[in-house]
Amino acid sequence: MSTASLPSSAAAAVDETIGLDERMPRRATLPPGRRRRKRRWVSNLIAVVFSVVWIFPVYWMVNTAFKPRAEIMTPTPIFLPQHPSIDNFIVAVTQSNFLTDLRNSLIVVVATVVLSIVLGFFAAAALSRFRFRGRRTIMVFILVVQMLPGTALLIPTFLMFNSLNLLGTFFGLALAYVAAVLPFSIWVMRGFFIAIPMEIEEAAKMDGANTWVILTRVLFPLVGPGVIATSIFAFIAAWNDYLIAYTFMKDQAMYTLPVWLASFTTPAAGTDFGGQMAGSVLFSLPVIIFFLIIQRNLVAGMSAGAVKG
Amino acid sequence: MTVMADPVVREEHAAAVGDSPRRRPPRRGRRQWAPLWLLTPAGLVMGVVTVVPIVLLVLISVTDYDQRSLFTGAFAFVGFEQYAAIFTDSDFWWSLVRTIVFTVAMVVGSVAVGMGVAQLMTRLGTVMRYVVTVVLICAWAMPNVASSLVWNWLFQPGYGVVNWLLTQLRVFGDMTDVAWSQHPLLSATSIWALIVWQAVPFIALTLYAAQVQVPQEYYEAARLDGASEWTVYRSITLVFLRPTLLLITILSIIWDYNVFNQIWLISQGGPDATTTTLGIFTYKTAFVGFDLGGGAAISVVTTLILLVLTAVYIRNLVRSGEDL
Repeated sequence: MSTASLPSSAAAAVDETIGLDERMPRRATLPPGRRRRKRRWVSNLIAVVFSVVWIFPVYWMVNTAFKPRAEIMTPTPIFLPQHPSIDNFIVAVTQSNFLTDLRNSLIVVVATVVLSIVLGFFAAAALSRFRFRGRRTIMVFILVVQMLPGTALLIPTFLMFNSLNLLGTFFGLALAYVAAVLPFSIWVMRGFFIAIPMEIEEAAKMDGANTWVILTRVLFPLVGPGVIATSIFAFIAAWNDYLIAYTFMKDQAMYTLPVWLASFTTPAAGTDFGGQMAGSVLFSLPVIIFFLIIQRNLVAGMSAGAVKG
Repeated sequence: MTVMADPVVREEHAAAVGDSPRRRPPRRGRRQWAPLWLLTPAGLVMGVVTVVPIVLLVLISVTDYDQRSLFTGAFAFVGFEQYAAIFTDSDFWWSLVRTIVFTVAMVVGSVAVGMGVAQLMTRLGTVMRYVVTVVLICAWAMPNVASSLVWNWLFQPGYGVVNWLLTQLRVFGDMTDVAWSQHPLLSATSIWALIVWQAVPFIALTLYAAQVQVPQEYYEAARLDGASEWTVYRSITLVFLRPTLLLITILSIIWDYNVFNQIWLISQGGPDATTTTLGIFTYKTAFVGFDLGGGAAISVVTTLILLVLTAVYIRNLVRSGEDL
């Protein structure tokens, strides 16, 4: 099922129908070849304009981050730093709690990733390899839960964590993230489970493997791509979250990076845009790199999770 | 563990393989314990951090839980008073209207641009298509806290590069000192632009992926008949894209309806609450005014509206079975 919705090699099979097209003598104000070339040219022009506009905010962030202070606040914007410097990065990293908050973020992110993989894997196994009563209900529940507004569950979770003394703890924060990520991770891993033929585990069973061995030694490696997709999703969710961390972590020493970034100010005259942009670059970089690495599987993964959903 | 004779078997396979000489009802037997212990850990987390909060949310919404209660633990049951208060509060209705207008504007903007970009990508050569893909991914990958800060900087009065660019256009007059976040319509516009900017990549890439799957024969046939580009797009591409488009539109509605960070970080719902959507309104009520009971009631209403908005989607999912 999942493979049907994936964008795959179909693109390659296309394109070569041009021959037919060009033999047709229709509405030939321009020779067909030139028509096509002109069309291609127009498309390329639009694509260039679009790309420039769309990349501009990212470019401006990087550009500002490398400018010395004097080149940031200028009546006429400077489009390339005249004297590129990394001062802003030094300010961002040293001045505020960057390192502490980076450590906080990493703790929470690792906990979220590990927990969501383990819990998601077992739950996905149950929901794909077995038929039992209530399974459909669980699947529908998982889907509906994903739509709940973030601000809605914030209030009861806040109160509950408050009375359980989990407010302002990494454990509580990670728990909230795991709950947010689980529906997606179960859904995606389930898609990969379904694609594995039953014969494989039957063979393993013949060899005397028990459920635990089948799950951990046979099936886990086979759903590897699902595990990777899940961990990247969990990483990004926990790394990027602002709302929950901002509400739950009131102790400045416990801030995660998004909260650090949003409250980034330096003593020197209010908002320091250079430092802020340098901080934004540092904070965004891991995510952008992740996205670029997995770009080929990105849409496939999203459609496995969403289109299938 | 070893007692579990044949744990990982679907019933149809159990029947086909016929591993058990005993005739037993397909859904019974000890092997059914496996899904239970497999589901328990995830179930516990979801139960404690999702199901319990949902129930709590409804319970809190019929109390007068506030800041005092946080310390004393004392609160009173007030029935539907919170709801009555909301429904007579013009701030709530305005937030609802704003949320709907915002959502519609964002969904229309991002889906329209996304469709255009997807179509554009099918007409590009490999190199240019790769460039566009990378650009889209960069915009998509930016964490929204970072992009909100970048937006603040782009639209900064006096030094913002957007203000400068608009001034250079000489269409809007001197925009240099315009404070976007201080002006109702302008702050809404800049937030709208941010949301669309971040939403287009997913939409464009998903639609493009769907578009390259359209069998090429249809296009050939249409071109043989001399159909115009527009006709081809409308009567072939759009027809094939319909299911994907529907899904994307619904997902966009859900996501845009729930937008919080960007608004909070750019305008905090201001100026004069003109960018206060339901999410911001809830947050302000619950965590700035610490009227948690009221906030919970707003949340319940917000969630119900969202469920109604997406009922079709849920019904389709449940109906289609999708071998759930």
